[in-house]
Amino acid sequence: MIEVRDIHKKYRRRKVLDGVSFQIEKGEITCLIGTNGAGKSTIMKAIMGLTPFRKGEIIIDGQKLGKERYEKISFIPDHLTMPPAMKLDEAMVFMADFYRSWNEDRAKELMGFFQLEGKERIGNLSKGTAAKFNLLLGLALDTEYVLMDEPFSGIDMFSRALITEVFSSHLIEDRGVLITTHEIADVEHLIDQAVLLKNGSVIRNFNCELLRMEESKSIVDVMKEVYQA
Amino acid sequence: MKFYLKLVHMEVHRFRYLLGGLMVLTLLMQFGVVLLWSLSERSIRTGPGWSEKLITYHPFSETGKLTFNEMMFNNQFWFSFPVLISIAVIAGYVFLIWYRDWLGRDTFIYRLLMLPSNRGCIYAAKLTAILLFTFGLVSFQLLLLPLEMMLFNLAIPEALRDPSYLSQAILQNQVLKVLIPGQLDAFVMAYAIGILTVLAAFTVILLERSYRVIGIGFAVIYVFVCGAALLAPITLQRPGNTASYLYPGETYSIMLALTVIIVFVSVWLSIRLLNRKITV
Repeated sequence: MIEVRDIHKKYRRRKVLDGVSFQIEKGEITCLIGTNGAGKSTIMKAIMGLTPFRKGEIIIDGQKLGKERYEKISFIPDHLTMPPAMKLDEAMVFMADFYRSWNEDRAKELMGFFQLEGKERIGNLSKGTAAKFNLLLGLALDTEYVLMDEPFSGIDMFSRALITEVFSSHLIEDRGVLITTHEIADVEHLIDQAVLLKNGSVIRNFNCELLRMEESKSIVDVMKEVYQA
Repeated sequence: MKFYLKLVHMEVHRFRYLLGGLMVLTLLMQFGVVLLWSLSERSIRTGPGWSEKLITYHPFSETGKLTFNEMMFNNQFWFSFPVLISIAVIAGYVFLIWYRDWLGRDTFIYRLLMLPSNRGCIYAAKLTAILLFTFGLVSFQLLLLPLEMMLFNLAIPEALRDPSYLSQAILQNQVLKVLIPGQLDAFVMAYAIGILTVLAAFTVILLERSYRVIGIGFAVIYVFVCGAALLAPITLQRPGNTASYLYPGETYSIMLALTVIIVFVSVWLSIRLLNRKITV
Protein backbone atom coordinates (compact mmCIF):
# COMPACT_ATOMS: atom_id res chain seq x y z
CA MET A 1 0.00 0.00 0.00
CA ILE A 2 1.16 3.55 -0.76
CA GLU A 3 0.13 5.95 1.97
CA VAL A 4 0.13 9.66 1.19
CA ARG A 5 0.00 11.37 4.57
CA ASP A 6 -0.77 15.05 5.07
CA ILE A 7 1.29 16.37 2.17
CA HIS A 8 1.77 20.15 2.02
CA LYS A 9 3.48 22.00 -0.80
CA LYS A 10 3.71 25.67 -1.67
CA TYR A 11 4.80 27.27 -4.92
CA ARG A 12 5.75 30.85 -4.15
CA ARG A 13 2.80 31.94 -2.00
CA ARG A 14 0.22 29.57 -3.48
CA LYS A 15 -0.69 26.36 -1.67
CA VAL A 16 -0.36 23.66 -4.32
CA LEU A 17 -1.06 20.79 -1.90
CA ASP A 18 -2.76 21.45 1.39
CA GLY A 19 -2.77 18.43 3.66
CA VAL A 20 -3.44 15.73 1.05
CA SER A 21 -3.93 12.21 2.48
CA PHE A 22 -5.13 9.03 0.79
CA GLN A 23 -4.03 5.45 0.14
CA ILE A 24 -3.38 3.34 -2.94
CA GLU A 25 -4.11 -0.33 -2.39
CA LYS A 26 -2.56 -3.16 -4.39
CA GLY A 27 -4.97 -4.77 -6.84
CA GLU A 28 -7.11 -1.62 -7.01
CA ILE A 29 -7.39 1.27 -9.44
CA THR A 30 -7.48 4.63 -7.69
CA CYS A 31 -8.39 7.69 -9.69
CA LEU A 32 -7.30 11.21 -8.79
CA ILE A 33 -9.93 13.59 -10.07
CA GLY A 34 -9.81 17.34 -10.21
CA THR A 35 -9.89 20.38 -12.43
CA ASN A 36 -6.70 21.75 -13.99
CA GLY A 37 -4.29 22.96 -11.30
CA ALA A 38 -5.93 20.90 -8.54
CA GLY A 39 -2.58 19.23 -7.77
CA LYS A 40 -3.05 15.78 -9.39
CA SER A 41 0.25 15.67 -11.27
CA THR A 42 2.10 17.24 -8.34
CA ILE A 43 0.94 14.40 -6.07
CA MET A 44 2.29 11.83 -8.54
CA LYS A 45 5.60 13.67 -8.83
CA ALA A 46 5.83 13.88 -5.03
CA ILE A 47 5.28 10.11 -4.73
CA MET A 48 8.07 9.58 -7.27
CA GLY A 49 10.48 12.02 -5.59
CA LEU A 50 10.39 14.34 -8.60
CA THR A 51 9.31 17.37 -6.60
CA PRO A 52 9.94 18.19 -2.93
CA PHE A 53 7.19 18.90 -0.40
CA ARG A 54 7.27 21.01 2.75
CA LYS A 55 5.44 18.72 5.16
CA GLY A 56 4.00 15.23 5.32
CA GLU A 57 5.27 11.80 4.31
CA ILE A 58 4.85 9.11 1.72
CA ILE A 59 5.03 5.54 2.98
CA ILE A 60 5.41 2.66 0.53
CA ASP A 61 4.58 -0.78 1.98
CA GLY A 62 5.36 0.52 5.46
CA GLN A 63 8.66 2.17 4.54
CA LYS A 64 9.96 5.53 3.43
CA LEU A 65 11.83 4.54 0.29
CA GLY A 66 14.65 6.24 -1.58
CA LYS A 67 15.95 5.03 -4.93
CA GLU A 68 14.44 1.56 -4.26
CA ARG A 69 11.00 3.04 -5.00
CA TYR A 70 11.83 3.09 -8.73
CA GLU A 71 11.90 -0.72 -8.82
CA LYS A 72 8.59 -0.83 -6.90
CA ILE A 73 6.60 1.93 -8.62
CA SER A 74 6.56 2.90 -12.26
CA PHE A 75 5.41 6.34 -13.29
CA ILE A 76 3.93 7.02 -16.69
CA PRO A 77 3.93 10.83 -17.10
CA ASP A 78 1.59 12.65 -19.48
CA HIS A 79 4.31 12.75 -22.14
CA LEU A 80 7.11 10.48 -23.32
CA THR A 81 10.33 11.17 -21.45
CA MET A 82 12.98 9.68 -23.70
CA PRO A 83 15.38 11.56 -26.01
CA PRO A 84 13.82 12.15 -29.45
CA ALA A 85 16.92 10.86 -31.25
CA MET A 86 16.54 7.42 -29.63
CA LYS A 87 14.93 4.55 -31.52
CA LEU A 88 12.25 2.55 -29.70
CA ASP A 89 14.58 -0.47 -29.58
CA GLU A 90 17.33 1.70 -28.05
CA ALA A 91 14.92 3.05 -25.44
CA MET A 92 14.07 -0.53 -24.45
CA VAL A 93 17.76 -1.42 -24.20
CA PHE A 94 18.18 1.66 -21.97
CA MET A 95 15.38 0.45 -19.68
CA ALA A 96 16.78 -3.10 -19.60
CA ASP A 97 20.22 -1.68 -18.75
CA PHE A 98 19.05 0.32 -15.76
CA TYR A 99 16.07 -1.51 -14.26
CA ARG A 100 16.21 -4.96 -12.66
CA SER A 101 12.43 -5.07 -12.92
CA TRP A 102 12.40 -4.64 -16.72
CA ASN A 103 10.44 -7.52 -18.25
CA GLU A 104 11.69 -8.05 -21.80
CA ASP A 105 8.98 -10.55 -22.71
CA ARG A 106 6.25 -8.20 -21.58
CA ALA A 107 7.87 -5.34 -23.51
CA LYS A 108 7.84 -7.47 -26.68
CA GLU A 109 4.24 -8.47 -26.02
CA LEU A 110 3.26 -4.80 -25.68
CA MET A 111 5.20 -3.87 -28.84
CA GLY A 112 3.00 -6.35 -30.66
CA PHE A 113 -0.18 -5.33 -28.88
CA PHE A 114 0.31 -1.64 -29.73
CA GLN A 115 1.77 -2.46 -33.18
CA LEU A 116 4.95 -0.43 -32.61
CA GLU A 117 8.05 -0.50 -34.80
CA GLY A 118 11.39 -0.81 -32.99
CA LYS A 119 13.34 0.99 -35.71
CA GLU A 120 11.21 4.14 -35.44
CA ARG A 121 12.75 7.20 -33.79
CA ILE A 122 10.95 8.63 -30.74
CA GLY A 123 11.02 12.14 -32.20
CA ASN A 124 9.07 10.91 -35.25
CA LEU A 125 6.21 9.30 -33.32
CA SER A 126 2.69 10.70 -33.53
CA LYS A 127 1.09 11.77 -30.25
CA GLY A 128 -1.00 8.59 -30.04
CA THR A 129 1.93 6.29 -30.82
CA ALA A 130 4.12 8.15 -28.31
CA ALA A 131 1.38 7.66 -25.66
CA LYS A 132 1.33 3.91 -26.40
CA PHE A 133 5.11 3.63 -26.16
CA ASN A 134 5.05 5.68 -22.97
CA LEU A 135 2.59 3.18 -21.54
CA LEU A 136 4.81 0.32 -22.67
CA LEU A 137 7.85 1.76 -20.84
CA GLY A 138 5.85 1.92 -17.62
CA LEU A 139 3.98 -1.36 -17.88
CA ALA A 140 6.95 -3.48 -18.96
CA LEU A 141 8.49 -2.88 -15.54
CA ASP A 142 7.52 -5.60 -13.06
CA THR A 143 6.52 -3.10 -10.40
CA GLU A 144 3.91 -3.43 -7.68
CA TYR A 145 2.41 -0.01 -8.36
CA VAL A 146 1.80 2.02 -11.52
CA LEU A 147 1.08 5.75 -11.60
CA MET A 148 -0.42 7.11 -14.83
CA ASP A 149 -0.82 10.80 -15.48
CA GLU A 150 -3.45 11.51 -18.14
CA PRO A 151 -2.85 8.41 -20.30
CA PHE A 152 -5.64 9.44 -22.70
CA SER A 153 -4.53 13.03 -23.18
CA GLY A 154 -4.84 14.15 -26.81
CA ILE A 155 -5.12 10.74 -28.46
CA ASP A 156 -7.66 9.40 -30.92
CA MET A 157 -10.61 7.14 -29.98
CA PHE A 158 -9.04 3.96 -31.41
CA SER A 159 -5.82 4.40 -29.46
CA ARG A 160 -7.90 5.28 -26.41
CA ALA A 161 -9.84 2.04 -26.74
CA LEU A 162 -6.59 0.11 -27.02
CA ILE A 163 -5.20 1.76 -23.88
CA THR A 164 -8.47 1.17 -21.98
CA GLU A 165 -8.16 -2.50 -22.89
CA VAL A 166 -4.86 -2.57 -20.99
CA PHE A 167 -6.61 -1.67 -17.73
CA SER A 168 -8.71 -4.82 -17.72
CA SER A 169 -5.82 -7.06 -18.83
CA HIS A 170 -3.23 -9.11 -16.95
CA LEU A 171 -0.83 -6.17 -17.40
CA ILE A 172 -2.56 -4.33 -14.58
CA GLU A 173 -3.89 -7.25 -12.54
CA ASP A 174 -2.68 -7.35 -8.90
CA ARG A 175 -0.92 -4.03 -9.19
CA GLY A 176 -1.91 -0.89 -7.35
CA VAL A 177 -2.79 1.74 -9.94
CA LEU A 178 -3.11 5.48 -9.49
CA ILE A 179 -4.49 7.29 -12.50
CA THR A 180 -5.44 10.87 -13.32
CA THR A 181 -7.74 11.53 -16.24
CA HIS A 182 -10.27 13.99 -17.52
CA GLU A 183 -11.85 11.19 -19.59
CA ILE A 184 -13.68 9.61 -16.64
CA ALA A 185 -16.38 8.09 -18.82
CA ASP A 186 -13.81 5.84 -20.54
CA VAL A 187 -12.54 4.26 -17.33
CA GLU A 188 -15.34 4.80 -14.82
CA HIS A 189 -16.35 1.12 -14.84
CA LEU A 190 -12.76 0.12 -13.98
CA ILE A 191 -12.13 2.48 -11.05
CA ASP A 192 -12.25 1.12 -7.50
CA GLN A 193 -11.54 4.27 -5.55
CA ALA A 194 -11.94 7.94 -6.44
CA VAL A 195 -10.12 10.83 -4.78
CA LEU A 196 -11.57 14.23 -5.62
CA LEU A 197 -9.24 17.20 -5.30
CA LYS A 198 -9.98 20.88 -5.22
CA ASN A 199 -7.40 23.63 -4.70
CA GLY A 200 -4.81 21.17 -3.42
CA SER A 201 -7.08 19.46 -0.88
CA VAL A 202 -8.96 16.14 -0.91
CA ILE A 203 -12.63 17.00 -0.75
CA ARG A 204 -14.09 13.52 -1.33
CA ASN A 205 -12.58 10.07 -1.18
CA PHE A 206 -14.88 7.14 -1.81
CA ASN A 207 -15.18 3.54 -2.94
CA CYS A 208 -16.95 3.59 -6.30
CA GLU A 209 -18.66 0.21 -5.90
CA LEU A 210 -20.08 1.19 -2.51
CA LEU A 211 -21.27 4.52 -3.89
CA ARG A 212 -23.01 2.78 -6.76
CA MET A 213 -24.70 0.29 -4.43
CA GLU A 214 -25.59 2.59 -1.54
CA GLU A 215 -26.37 5.87 -3.28
CA SER A 216 -26.89 4.74 -6.91
CA LYS A 217 -24.52 7.43 -8.05
CA SER A 218 -21.75 7.38 -10.62
CA ILE A 219 -18.41 9.19 -10.29
CA VAL A 220 -19.63 11.77 -12.78
CA ASP A 221 -22.68 12.44 -10.55
CA VAL A 222 -20.43 13.10 -7.56
CA MET A 223 -18.14 15.28 -9.69
CA LYS A 224 -21.13 17.40 -10.72
CA GLU A 225 -22.15 17.78 -7.06
CA VAL A 226 -18.66 18.77 -6.00
CA TYR A 227 -17.40 20.93 -8.85
CA GLN A 228 -20.62 22.56 -10.00
CA ALA A 229 -21.88 23.34 -6.50
CA MET B 1 29.70 2.01 -10.54
CA LYS B 2 27.83 0.11 -13.26
CA PHE B 3 25.14 2.83 -13.39
CA TYR B 4 27.77 5.56 -13.48
CA LEU B 5 29.65 3.97 -16.40
CA LYS B 6 26.42 3.39 -18.32
CA LEU B 7 25.40 7.01 -17.80
CA VAL B 8 28.83 8.24 -18.93
CA HIS B 9 28.53 6.10 -22.04
CA MET B 10 25.08 7.54 -22.72
CA GLU B 11 26.27 11.14 -22.31
CA VAL B 12 29.24 10.58 -24.63
CA HIS B 13 26.95 8.84 -27.13
CA ARG B 14 24.61 11.85 -27.14
CA PHE B 15 27.45 14.30 -27.85
CA ARG B 16 29.31 12.12 -30.35
CA TYR B 17 28.27 13.95 -33.54
CA LEU B 18 29.12 17.38 -32.15
CA LEU B 19 32.45 16.08 -30.81
CA GLY B 20 33.21 14.47 -34.17
CA GLY B 21 32.23 17.70 -35.94
CA LEU B 22 34.61 19.75 -33.78
CA MET B 23 37.43 17.31 -34.46
CA VAL B 24 36.82 17.39 -38.22
CA LEU B 25 36.63 21.21 -38.16
CA THR B 26 39.94 21.41 -36.26
CA LEU B 27 41.61 18.94 -38.58
CA LEU B 28 40.42 20.60 -41.80
CA MET B 29 41.16 24.18 -40.70
CA GLN B 30 44.59 23.50 -39.23
CA PHE B 31 45.69 21.26 -42.10
CA GLY B 32 44.38 23.89 -44.52
CA VAL B 33 46.32 26.66 -42.74
CA VAL B 34 49.54 24.60 -42.69
CA LEU B 35 49.22 23.67 -46.36
CA LEU B 36 48.23 27.10 -47.70
CA TRP B 37 50.85 28.99 -45.73
CA SER B 38 53.61 26.50 -46.55
CA LEU B 39 52.84 26.47 -50.27
CA SER B 40 52.60 30.24 -50.35
CA GLU B 41 55.93 30.67 -48.54
CA ARG B 42 57.55 28.03 -50.75
CA SER B 43 56.49 29.80 -53.92
CA ILE B 44 57.80 33.11 -52.57
CA ARG B 45 61.15 31.62 -51.61
CA THR B 46 61.62 29.71 -54.81
CA GLY B 47 60.34 32.55 -56.99
CA PRO B 48 62.40 35.07 -58.96
CA GLY B 49 63.91 37.96 -57.04
CA TRP B 50 64.10 36.12 -53.70
CA SER B 51 67.32 36.50 -51.84
CA GLU B 52 68.21 35.19 -48.38
CA LYS B 53 69.92 38.51 -47.84
CA LEU B 54 66.54 40.26 -47.85
CA ILE B 55 65.93 38.84 -44.37
CA THR B 56 68.11 40.51 -41.82
CA TYR B 57 66.29 39.36 -38.68
CA HIS B 58 65.77 35.63 -38.07
CA PRO B 59 63.63 35.09 -34.98
CA PHE B 60 62.76 31.46 -35.76
CA SER B 61 65.91 30.13 -37.36
CA GLU B 62 69.53 31.19 -37.34
CA THR B 63 69.79 30.41 -41.02
CA GLY B 64 66.67 32.33 -42.03
CA LYS B 65 65.05 29.15 -43.35
CA LEU B 66 61.38 28.31 -42.83
CA THR B 67 60.36 26.51 -39.66
CA PHE B 68 57.15 24.99 -38.31
CA ASN B 69 57.45 27.44 -35.40
CA GLU B 70 57.26 30.35 -37.84
CA MET B 71 54.16 28.86 -39.42
CA MET B 72 52.54 28.57 -35.95
CA PHE B 73 53.49 32.13 -35.02
CA ASN B 74 52.26 33.69 -38.27
CA ASN B 75 48.85 31.99 -38.25
CA GLN B 76 47.59 32.78 -34.76
CA PHE B 77 43.97 33.46 -35.65
CA TRP B 78 43.15 30.75 -38.17
CA PHE B 79 45.08 28.08 -36.30
CA SER B 80 43.36 28.98 -33.00
CA PHE B 81 39.91 29.52 -34.51
CA PRO B 82 38.69 25.87 -34.38
CA VAL B 83 40.20 25.54 -30.88
CA LEU B 84 38.30 28.63 -29.70
CA ILE B 85 35.12 27.30 -31.34
CA SER B 86 35.62 24.00 -29.47
CA ILE B 87 36.10 25.85 -26.16
CA ALA B 88 32.93 27.87 -26.80
CA VAL B 89 30.94 24.71 -27.67
CA ILE B 90 32.15 22.86 -24.57
CA ALA B 91 31.41 25.93 -22.41
CA GLY B 92 27.88 26.07 -23.83
CA TYR B 93 27.47 22.33 -23.41
CA VAL B 94 28.22 22.63 -19.67
CA PHE B 95 24.79 24.28 -19.44
CA LEU B 96 23.12 22.34 -22.25
CA ILE B 97 24.04 18.96 -20.74
CA TRP B 98 21.50 19.74 -17.95
CA TYR B 99 18.99 22.05 -19.65
CA ARG B 100 18.62 19.76 -22.67
CA ASP B 101 17.07 17.18 -20.32
CA TRP B 102 14.59 19.67 -18.88
CA LEU B 103 13.56 21.74 -21.86
CA GLY B 104 11.90 20.71 -25.09
CA ARG B 105 9.16 18.23 -25.84
CA ASP B 106 10.79 15.19 -24.29
CA THR B 107 11.89 15.93 -20.74
CA PHE B 108 14.43 13.16 -20.25
CA ILE B 109 15.19 14.42 -16.72
CA TYR B 110 12.05 12.58 -15.50
CA ARG B 111 13.62 9.28 -16.55
CA LEU B 112 17.09 10.18 -15.28
CA LEU B 113 15.78 11.12 -11.84
CA MET B 114 13.67 7.95 -11.72
CA LEU B 115 16.61 5.62 -12.33
CA PRO B 116 17.06 3.20 -9.44
CA SER B 117 20.54 4.53 -8.70
CA ASN B 118 22.08 7.21 -6.57
CA ARG B 119 21.39 10.61 -8.16
CA GLY B 120 25.02 11.48 -7.55
CA CYS B 121 25.75 9.14 -10.49
CA ILE B 122 23.86 11.50 -12.84
CA TYR B 123 25.96 14.41 -11.59
CA ALA B 124 29.23 12.46 -11.80
CA ALA B 125 28.39 11.16 -15.28
CA LYS B 126 27.70 14.64 -16.65
CA LEU B 127 30.89 15.99 -15.10
CA THR B 128 32.92 13.05 -16.43
CA ALA B 129 31.43 13.55 -19.89
CA ILE B 130 32.49 17.23 -19.94
CA LEU B 131 36.01 16.26 -18.82
CA LEU B 132 36.19 13.50 -21.42
CA PHE B 133 35.15 15.90 -24.19
CA THR B 134 37.71 18.49 -23.03
CA PHE B 135 40.62 16.09 -22.66
CA GLY B 136 39.51 14.26 -25.81
CA LEU B 137 39.79 17.47 -27.82
CA VAL B 138 43.12 18.41 -26.19
CA SER B 139 44.48 14.93 -26.94
CA PHE B 140 43.22 15.19 -30.50
CA GLN B 141 45.06 18.51 -30.85
CA LEU B 142 48.23 16.87 -29.51
CA LEU B 143 47.78 14.10 -32.04
CA LEU B 144 47.26 16.58 -34.88
CA LEU B 145 50.38 18.65 -34.19
CA PRO B 146 52.99 16.03 -35.26
CA LEU B 147 50.82 15.24 -38.30
CA GLU B 148 50.72 18.95 -39.16
CA MET B 149 54.50 19.07 -38.78
CA MET B 150 54.77 16.14 -41.19
CA LEU B 151 52.50 17.97 -43.63
CA PHE B 152 54.69 21.06 -43.30
CA ASN B 153 57.80 18.97 -43.98
CA LEU B 154 56.16 17.47 -47.05
CA ALA B 155 55.15 20.88 -48.40
CA ILE B 156 58.52 22.58 -47.82
CA PRO B 157 61.63 21.06 -49.39
CA GLU B 158 64.38 20.15 -46.94
CA ALA B 159 66.68 22.79 -48.40
CA LEU B 160 64.23 25.53 -47.43
CA ARG B 161 63.47 24.51 -43.86
CA ASP B 162 65.02 24.04 -40.48
CA PRO B 163 63.71 21.53 -37.93
CA SER B 164 61.41 22.57 -35.06
CA TYR B 165 60.52 20.99 -31.76
CA LEU B 166 56.87 20.38 -31.00
CA SER B 167 57.15 21.83 -27.48
CA GLN B 168 58.49 25.08 -28.94
CA ALA B 169 55.89 25.10 -31.70
CA ILE B 170 53.10 24.98 -29.08
CA LEU B 171 54.59 28.03 -27.35
CA GLN B 172 54.27 30.07 -30.56
CA ASN B 173 50.46 29.95 -30.41
CA GLN B 174 48.83 32.09 -27.71
CA VAL B 175 45.85 29.73 -27.26
CA LEU B 176 47.73 26.42 -27.35
CA LYS B 177 50.26 27.86 -24.90
CA VAL B 178 47.47 28.13 -22.30
CA LEU B 179 45.72 24.87 -23.21
CA ILE B 180 48.85 22.75 -23.33
CA PRO B 181 51.35 24.36 -20.96
CA GLY B 182 54.85 22.94 -20.82
CA GLN B 183 55.06 22.70 -17.02
CA LEU B 184 53.05 20.20 -15.00
CA ASP B 185 52.11 22.72 -12.27
CA ALA B 186 50.79 25.18 -14.88
CA PHE B 187 48.83 22.33 -16.50
CA VAL B 188 47.36 21.26 -13.14
CA MET B 189 46.48 24.85 -12.22
CA ALA B 190 44.84 25.61 -15.59
CA TYR B 191 42.68 22.49 -15.55
CA ALA B 192 41.92 22.77 -11.80
CA ILE B 193 40.48 26.24 -12.46
CA GLY B 194 38.58 24.81 -15.44
CA ILE B 195 37.10 21.97 -13.38
CA LEU B 196 36.23 24.37 -10.55
CA THR B 197 34.39 26.58 -13.04
CA VAL B 198 32.43 23.59 -14.38
CA LEU B 199 31.50 22.51 -10.83
CA ALA B 200 30.39 26.05 -9.97
CA ALA B 201 28.33 26.18 -13.20
CA PHE B 202 26.66 22.84 -12.32
CA THR B 203 25.75 24.20 -8.87
CA VAL B 204 24.35 27.38 -10.44
CA ILE B 205 22.23 25.31 -12.84
CA LEU B 206 20.92 23.05 -10.07
CA LEU B 207 20.12 26.04 -7.84
CA GLU B 208 18.11 27.56 -10.69
CA ARG B 209 16.38 24.24 -11.48
CA SER B 210 15.51 23.72 -7.79
CA TYR B 211 14.27 27.19 -6.89
CA ARG B 212 13.63 28.63 -10.39
CA VAL B 213 13.51 32.48 -10.32
CA ILE B 214 14.63 32.72 -6.67
CA GLY B 215 17.32 30.18 -7.53
CA ILE B 216 18.91 32.68 -9.93
CA GLY B 217 19.35 35.01 -6.95
CA PHE B 218 20.90 32.18 -4.89
CA ALA B 219 23.17 31.35 -7.84
CA VAL B 220 24.41 34.95 -8.10
CA ILE B 221 25.16 34.99 -4.35
CA TYR B 222 26.90 31.60 -4.61
CA VAL B 223 29.13 32.73 -7.51
CA PHE B 224 29.95 35.97 -5.70
CA VAL B 225 30.86 34.16 -2.45
CA CYS B 226 33.03 31.60 -4.31
CA GLY B 227 34.79 34.31 -6.32
CA ALA B 228 35.36 36.52 -3.25
CA ALA B 229 36.68 33.58 -1.20
CA LEU B 230 39.04 32.49 -3.96
CA LEU B 231 40.45 35.98 -4.51
CA ALA B 232 40.55 36.95 -0.81
CA PRO B 233 44.24 35.96 -0.32
CA ILE B 234 45.17 38.45 -3.06
CA THR B 235 42.67 41.25 -2.44
CA LEU B 236 43.12 41.34 1.34
CA GLN B 237 46.85 41.99 1.05
CA ARG B 238 47.77 45.67 1.18
CA PRO B 239 51.11 46.83 -0.18
CA GLY B 240 53.31 48.21 2.59
CA ASN B 241 51.33 46.60 5.39
CA THR B 242 53.68 43.97 6.74
CA ALA B 243 51.04 42.56 9.09
CA SER B 244 48.88 41.44 6.15
CA TYR B 245 51.69 40.42 3.81
CA LEU B 246 51.87 36.85 2.58
CA TYR B 247 54.69 35.23 0.66
CA PRO B 248 53.70 34.03 -2.85
CA GLY B 249 54.03 30.43 -1.67
CA GLU B 250 51.63 31.09 1.20
CA THR B 251 49.13 32.84 -1.09
CA TYR B 252 49.32 29.88 -3.50
CA SER B 253 48.74 27.40 -0.64
CA ILE B 254 45.77 29.34 0.74
CA MET B 255 44.24 29.60 -2.74
CA LEU B 256 44.75 25.88 -3.28
CA ALA B 257 43.08 25.09 0.07
CA LEU B 258 40.17 27.41 -0.79
CA THR B 259 39.84 25.73 -4.20
CA VAL B 260 39.58 22.32 -2.51
CA ILE B 261 36.94 23.70 -0.07
CA ILE B 262 34.91 25.25 -2.91
CA VAL B 263 35.08 21.97 -4.87
CA PHE B 264 33.75 20.01 -1.86
CA VAL B 265 31.03 22.57 -1.10
CA SER B 266 29.93 22.69 -4.76
CA VAL B 267 29.74 18.89 -5.09
CA TRP B 268 27.99 18.49 -1.71
CA LEU B 269 25.47 21.25 -2.48
CA SER B 270 24.76 19.97 -6.00
CA ILE B 271 24.13 16.40 -4.86
CA ARG B 272 21.97 17.62 -1.96
CA LEU B 273 19.91 19.70 -4.39
CA LEU B 274 19.55 16.71 -6.72
CA ASN B 275 18.43 14.47 -3.86
CA ARG B 276 16.16 16.82 -1.95
CA LYS B 277 15.20 19.96 -3.81
CA ILE B 278 15.17 19.30 -7.51
CA THR B 279 11.85 19.58 -9.28
CA VAL B 280 10.85 18.54 -12.80
